[in-house]
Amino acid sequence: MLQRLRENKSMQGTLLALPTTLWLFVLLIIPLFLTLVVSFGQRSPDGDVIYSFGLHNYIRLFGYSTDCANGQASCFDPLYVNILSRSLSLAFNTTVIVIMMAYPLAYFIARSNPNRRNMFLFMVLIPLWTNFVIRVYAWMMLLRKEGAINIILGWLASGFNVIFAPLAGWFPEMAGVFHINFVPLELLYTPGAVLVGMVYEFLPFMILPIYTSLEKIDNSLYEAAADLGANAFRTFLRVTLPLSMPGVVAGTILVFIPVMGTFIVSDILGGRQVILVGNLIQRQFLDARDPTFGSAASLILMVMTLIVTYFYTRKFGFGEEIIAA
Amino acid sequence: MLRKSLFNVLAVLAILSFVLTACASSGGESPEAPAGGDGPQVTSSGFECPEPNPRVEVTSTELNIFVWTEYFPQDMLDCFELVYGIQLNRDEYSSNEEMYAKVSAGGTAYDLVQPTDYIVPLMIRQELLQELDHSKLPLMGNFDPNWMDQPFDPGNKYSVPYLAGTDALIVNTATVENVPTSWADLWNPEYAGRMVFLDDSRAVIGLTLVTLGYDPNTTDPAQLEEAKNKLAELVPNIKLFDSDSPKTALIAGDVDLGMTWTGEAFIANQENPDIQYIYPEEGPVLWQDNWVMLKDAAHADAAYAWLSYTMQGDVFWLTIRDFQYTNPNQAALEYAKANQPEVYSAYADSPIANPPADAVAKGFGIEDVGDATPLYDNIWVEIKGGN
Amino acid sequence: MNPHRRSPWVIAAATFVYFFLYAPIVVLILYSFNASRANVKFEGFISSFSDRVEMDGSYVVASPCGPFHWYCDLSKNDDVMEAAGNTLTIAVTATLAATTIGTMAALALQRYDFKIKPFSQLSLYIPIVIPEIVMGIGILTLFSQAFGWLNEALNLVGDARLALGIGTVTVSHIAFMVPFVTLVVQARLQGFDKSYEEAAMDLGANEWTTFWRVTFPMILPGVLSGALLAFTLSLDDFVITFFTNGPGSTTLPIYVYGLLRRIITPQVNALSTVWILTVFIAVMLLQWLQSREQKPAHS
Repeated sequence: MLQRLRENKSMQGTLLALPTTLWLFVLLIIPLFLTLVVSFGQRSPDGDVIYSFGLHNYIRLFGYSTDCANGQASCFDPLYVNILSRSLSLAFNTTVIVIMMAYPLAYFIARSNPNRRNMFLFMVLIPLWTNFVIRVYAWMMLLRKEGAINIILGWLASGFNVIFAPLAGWFPEMAGVFHINFVPLELLYTPGAVLVGMVYEFLPFMILPIYTSLEKIDNSLYEAAADLGANAFRTFLRVTLPLSMPGVVAGTILVFIPVMGTFIVSDILGGRQVILVGNLIQRQFLDARDPTFGSAASLILMVMTLIVTYFYTRKFGFGEEIIAA
Repeated sequence: MLRKSLFNVLAVLAILSFVLTACASSGGESPEAPAGGDGPQVTSSGFECPEPNPRVEVTSTELNIFVWTEYFPQDMLDCFELVYGIQLNRDEYSSNEEMYAKVSAGGTAYDLVQPTDYIVPLMIRQELLQELDHSKLPLMGNFDPNWMDQPFDPGNKYSVPYLAGTDALIVNTATVENVPTSWADLWNPEYAGRMVFLDDSRAVIGLTLVTLGYDPNTTDPAQLEEAKNKLAELVPNIKLFDSDSPKTALIAGDVDLGMTWTGEAFIANQENPDIQYIYPEEGPVLWQDNWVMLKDAAHADAAYAWLSYTMQGDVFWLTIRDFQYTNPNQAALEYAKANQPEVYSAYADSPIANPPADAVAKGFGIEDVGDATPLYDNIWVEIKGGN
Repeated sequence: MNPHRRSPWVIAAATFVYFFLYAPIVVLILYSFNASRANVKFEGFISSFSDRVEMDGSYVVASPCGPFHWYCDLSKNDDVMEAAGNTLTIAVTATLAATTIGTMAALALQRYDFKIKPFSQLSLYIPIVIPEIVMGIGILTLFSQAFGWLNEALNLVGDARLALGIGTVTVSHIAFMVPFVTLVVQARLQGFDKSYEEAAMDLGANEWTTFWRVTFPMILPGVLSGALLAFTLSLDDFVITFFTNGPGSTTLPIYVYGLLRRIITPQVNALSTVWILTVFIAVMLLQWLQSREQKPAHS
C-alpha cells in the first residue's frame, strides 16, 4: 500500500493538503455557513434564534422600515446604511492617511544604508509587537483633557503668554492677540480620536509591504533614468511609484479590511458613541441579543469588503508582497 | 544566517512560555486545605481569614465564576482559595445583556453568575439555572428579609442576594454651575458634551420614561416611541457611554456630570469631594445583584461552599470595607458594627451607600418585560447608532 | 549618483512618522512611574523608598520599591502571570501546529495536482479577506452549537463537558494562522530550483531523504518567517480570543482589556512597559545573533 502511495502523486498531494483544508473547512467554511443560516432566521423574544427562512434582516439593514414617522406604510430608514457608509469612509480615510505617512518612511528605509536597514525596520516593528489594546490605551493617555497633548499645548500657550506679556501690557486693546486663553481641547471620545487610533494601529502594516517592493527596485534602474536625463521628480513618478504599487496594494488590503471590522478602537477612543459596523455586530450579539440581525450584518460586512477588495485588486493587481518577511 | 537566529529566538520564546506556565500553575495552585489546628490562613495583604462555618464537603478543585467588574474584595477571593484549597477562575462582564448573551449561547463553563434583578426571570424562563438547595445554605438567615423573596424570584428558589444599590445623578459641583436635581434637568443644553451615561439600555430608557411620567417598565409601544424621541434629543449631548468605570472620566475631568451607580459614586467622591451623588426628584433606579447557579455547573459543590462562605458575617463585611454598596447581609453589618466601627460608621453615615428613606421610596426598579424586550433593544440600537 | 541620497523632505517626513509611532509609547512608559494612583496627570516620580507614601492627596500606600512601585505591584499580581503563561502557551502550540500543516499544504499546492486543489487554494484566501469579527462570531456560533449537541449526545457532565477554554482558543488561532504560513512558504517555493532535488535523486537518494536533506533546508527560511509571522499574530490577537475564550484561559490582550474596564492605575502602564521591554530584548537578541553569524564572512 505504501508503494501505491509513492506512485500516486495525486493522492500524495491530497494527503499533504488535507489537514489544512479540513481545519479551514471546519473552522471557517462551516461557521460562515452557519452565520448565513442564522441570518435568515427570526429572533425569539428572549434573544434566541428561530430557524426559518426570511430576508427581513437584510431588508432592515438596507433601510426598509415599517416603523415610519408620519404613518406611512413603509419608508427608508437610513440608520444602518449610515453605519455602513461611516465605516467605509473611515476605512477609506484611514487607508489614505496611512499611505501618505507610510510611503515616505518606507522610501527612507529602502534607500538607506543596507547595514542600517534592519535597525530601521525593527524600529517600525517594535510598536507593532506591543499589544494592540495597549496601543489604544496609550492614545487615551495622550488625548484626554489632562493628557499629554493638552499639557504640552498648555505649556506652549503659557510660554507664548509669558513672552508676549509685555506687549499685551502695552497694547491692552490687542490683548486678545498677545494672550492665549488656553482651554484644553476635547480630543478624546470624538470621531477624530477614532481616526487617529486606527491610523496608529495599522500604520506598520503599510510600511512593511511598501518597503519590500521599494527595496526590490534595482539601483541600475535609477542610474538608467538619470543617464536618460530624468530629474528626481520624474524618476519618482515614472520608475519608483509604478514599481512600488504591489506593495501599496498589499498594504491597502492589510489596512482596509481590519479597519472595517475593528470595534475596540471605536469603543475605547470613541466613548461608545462612534458606531461602526464592527460595533453594530458586537452589540447585536452581546447587548441587543439579536444574533440573526448580527449575522446578517456580519455577512454584509464581509461581502462589502470582498467587493472593494475585488475591484481594487483587479485594477492594481493582487500584490504578492503581502508576505513582507 | 537569518534562519539560525530566528530559530534561536523561537526556541528561547518556547522555553520561556513553558517556564511561565509552570510558574503560573504552581503559583495559582491551590495550597492545601489546612489540616486543622494549623492556625488561621493569612492573605498577602495581612488579612486573617475566618474559618468556614459550617465547612462544606468539597471534591472539586476549581470554581468558575462570571461576575461584574470591580465587585470583589481581593481578600475575600484569596481567603476562599486559602481555606478551601479551590482555585477560583473569574471572568468579568459589565452589562447584564453581555452576560446573558454569552451564557445563553452555550458552550461556557461557568458555575455561578451575578445577574441583576430583571434578568433573573429571563434566565429562569430560558431554563439556564438550577434550583438552589437551601439545605446547603444554612446561613441564608443572615440576609435582611427586605431583600429576600422578591417578585423576580419568589422564595429565592434560584438566587441569593449579593449587593444592592442605586443609579442616580453624579455631578462635579466645582465645574458645574447649575447643579441638576432631577433626571429631566439633564436635557438642559448647557450640559451638552459634558455628560457620562451608563451603557445600560434599560436604565437609560427607564429614566427617560419616568421624566415623561410613564412607567419605566411599560410595554406600550406608543409610550416607548415617545421615550425614543425624547432620548434622541439627549444622546448627542452625551460625551461618553461607560458601564465599566465611569468614575475615571469624571475624575479625569473629561466629563463634568452624568449618571452612575453607587460604588462608582463613592470612589469618585473619595478621590474628589467636589463630585457628589444626587438623588433625582423623580427617584433613582433601584437594583439588586444576585448569585445564581447555572444548570450545568460542573462544580456545584464548590459553588455551595463559596456561597456559604461569603454569606458569613465575618467574611462579607469586607465588601463594606472595600466597595461601598448597599449591603443586604445583616450579619455582616452587625459584625462590622461590633468589630470595625470606623468601617461601619463610614458606611452608615454615607448617603451614597445608605440612601435616605425618601429617595428609596421614590425610586423605581427595572423589571423583566418579557416579549416587549426587543422594543427596548431596538430603541437602544437606533438612538445610539444615529449620529 | 549616490543611491543612498534622500531629499530633506523625505528625511523630515520619516522622522515625523517615527515620532508619531513612538510618542504614545514614551508617554506610556513615563506614566508607569507616576506618583498618582488615578493616573490622570503626571504627578512626578515617587522619590522615597520609604514605607508609606501618599498619593493624590489621600491615598496612602506602602512603597518600598520607590519609583518602581507599580512594577512591584505588578509582580504580586498572579492573574498577570497566568495570562502571560496562557498567551505564550497558546502561541507556541498554535504556531507549531500551524507551521507543520501549513508547510505541508504549501508543498501540496505548489507541486502537486489533486482533486481538491482549487478548493484548498481558495479557502486559504478567506481568512485574509474576512474581518476578524466575522470569523470570531462564526467560530463562537459553531462551538456553541457543536458543544451543546455533543454534550447532550455523549452525556458529558462535570469537568468532562466540552466548553470554551484554552483548547478552543488554540484551535481557532491555528485556523487564522495557517493561511499566512502557507502563503509565505508557497512564495518561497515559487522560486525554487528543482535541479538540486533532481541531482540528489540522481545520486541515489529516495524522496524522503531528498526532502529532509535538500528541500527542507532550502525552504527553511521561508518556513521560519511564516512561523514568526504566525507567532506574532497569535500573541497579539484580541478579537478571536475574545469570542472563544473561557474561564482560566485569559490571555494578555484580554487581560489588559479587562484592566481598562476597572480603575486604571499605573499598573497597566507597568505591564505595558514590561511587555515592550521583553519584545525589545528579544529583537536585540536577534540582531546580535545575526551580526555574529555574519562576522566570519567579514574577517
